[in-house]
Amino acid sequence: MKQSKALKAALAVVLLLVPILLRNFNYGILICGFIGIYIVAISGLDLVFGYCGQISMGHAAFFAIGAYGSALLHKYVQLPILLTMVLAAIIAAVIGALLAYPASKLVFHFLSLATVAFGEIVYQLVAQSPGGITGNFTGFYTESINLLGFKINTNFRFYYFALACVCVFLLMKHRLVKSREGRAFLAIRENAHAANGMGINVRNYKIVAFATSAFYTAFAGAMYAHYVRFISPETFSNKQSVMFLTMLLFGGTASLSGPVLGAIAVLLLNEGLRFAERYQMLIYGIMLLVVILLMPGGIYGVIKKQLDKRRVVD
Amino acid sequence: MLTVKDVTLRFGGLTAVNNVSLEIKDGAIYGLIGPNGAGKTTFFNLISGVYIPNEGEIIFDGVKLNGKRCFEINHIGMSRTYQVINLFKKMTVVENVMVGLHPKLKSGYFAAVLGTKKQREEEQEALKKALDWLDFVGLRENAYDMSGSLSYGKQRLLEIVRALASNPKLLLLDEPAAGMNSTEKVELYDILRKIQKLGVTILMIEHDMKLMMGITDYIFVLNYGKKLAEGTPAEVQHNPEVIAAYLGED
Repeated sequence: MKQSKALKAALAVVLLLVPILLRNFNYGILICGFIGIYIVAISGLDLVFGYCGQISMGHAAFFAIGAYGSALLHKYVQLPILLTMVLAAIIAAVIGALLAYPASKLVFHFLSLATVAFGEIVYQLVAQSPGGITGNFTGFYTESINLLGFKINTNFRFYYFALACVCVFLLMKHRLVKSREGRAFLAIRENAHAANGMGINVRNYKIVAFATSAFYTAFAGAMYAHYVRFISPETFSNKQSVMFLTMLLFGGTASLSGPVLGAIAVLLLNEGLRFAERYQMLIYGIMLLVVILLMPGGIYGVIKKQLDKRRVVD
Repeated sequence: MLTVKDVTLRFGGLTAVNNVSLEIKDGAIYGLIGPNGAGKTTFFNLISGVYIPNEGEIIFDGVKLNGKRCFEINHIGMSRTYQVINLFKKMTVVENVMVGLHPKLKSGYFAAVLGTKKQREEEQEALKKALDWLDFVGLRENAYDMSGSLSYGKQRLLEIVRALASNPKLLLLDEPAAGMNSTEKVELYDILRKIQKLGVTILMIEHDMKLMMGITDYIFVLNYGKKLAEGTPAEVQHNPEVIAAYLGED
């Protein structure tokens, strides 16, 4: 117990010091910011996929709704950016619920097709928007987050903003999955028939899981938009959805740490393999196969197994 | 408590439950027997909301159940176990019982996300209650094991206690003794008596006739989807039609 507390404190110190340690390596801080964004996005996907057992192969759509939603709201309604980020995420949650309402009746493989279709629809809307409001393929410029006059316009500052977001979102996730609601998600994943028999309104909970998941991923999309300050449709294609799933499965589902490990591993791998960018999808494919065939619990699963073993020996 | 009136269920051309009526009163242990394929489990699925009857009425505690969904029927006070074990395998034993407590807990989504004091207290309370339920069937020491790793007999007990956690008025047990050894069956007998003492009415399907004759107050016999007979265990045992159905005489 004491040991784990000390470990946590050490981790917190390291996390706070990262940008200072990397002060001569701005690119490294930049990547860390992206890791934060993806942790939020994938933690959301994990709620619906890892915990509730409902696949989504179109989560890039929520990433897009968050990014464009926040950028457009800022430009056309002139609301402050943090507020537009939250609003865009709420809009995504509502859209997620509307999508889940009919989709909650579908079994796994039909649900995956429906979410692929949804991803494609949002992509097309962004790429060929009515009146060109999103800037279509020329892209859309937006501004950095402005916290009451304090602009989060450097990688250094964004790192801390992202760290705060990750903490808040992981804390919310932790509370949710440890509650009555979280148990209902798990029960649905494990056995929807029995969950129903235990008095759980399976359909409502699937909708809640989907909406929450959409909120997370959309907020991450908004973070992305105001970090890069430029968004264009390519970022939100089905390639992004595949990357989300790869990160989640590679890191490990249904845990707090899995998505964190997955986001770090896949992003670092991406950076390391920049020279092979055209083979990115091939690499994701191979990673997915490796995970599914050799380590179904992902990195987190492997680590947990080792820890459990050690505990048994103790 | 439960009145089933002229209920019929058809799957296409097959009549799985044919014009069955029965009446269940408070506090007793009822048995539902019949040869394989007689429609016993289908009958359970019918009253617990998995299927909707084509004809007839099911009234439970003054509420008409026709067309109500499983989770709604659970909220009215009927809970069940399954013939094929339907535990949440990758959840711990105590978590399974806590899922059973689901309809009894009040805290909502936002209370959970914000971690309000009330929600945390309710969770503590729920955990305590779930552990008490595990004591009730002697599974306390397995509380933090994965439910899928329990022995078959213990999984059956966990199914029962998970169903009990929602404080049902009527408990449906579908072959609770299946796969149990004789020691476990004796334990089961005691547990069923304890459940009866809690004031819970039981309707159970079971093939172990010794257990059935020893514990039930009243038995219904199904054959080919029809009610063949009903009565006390002694009456049913000596009913020539029942004997014929079991031994396959004409």
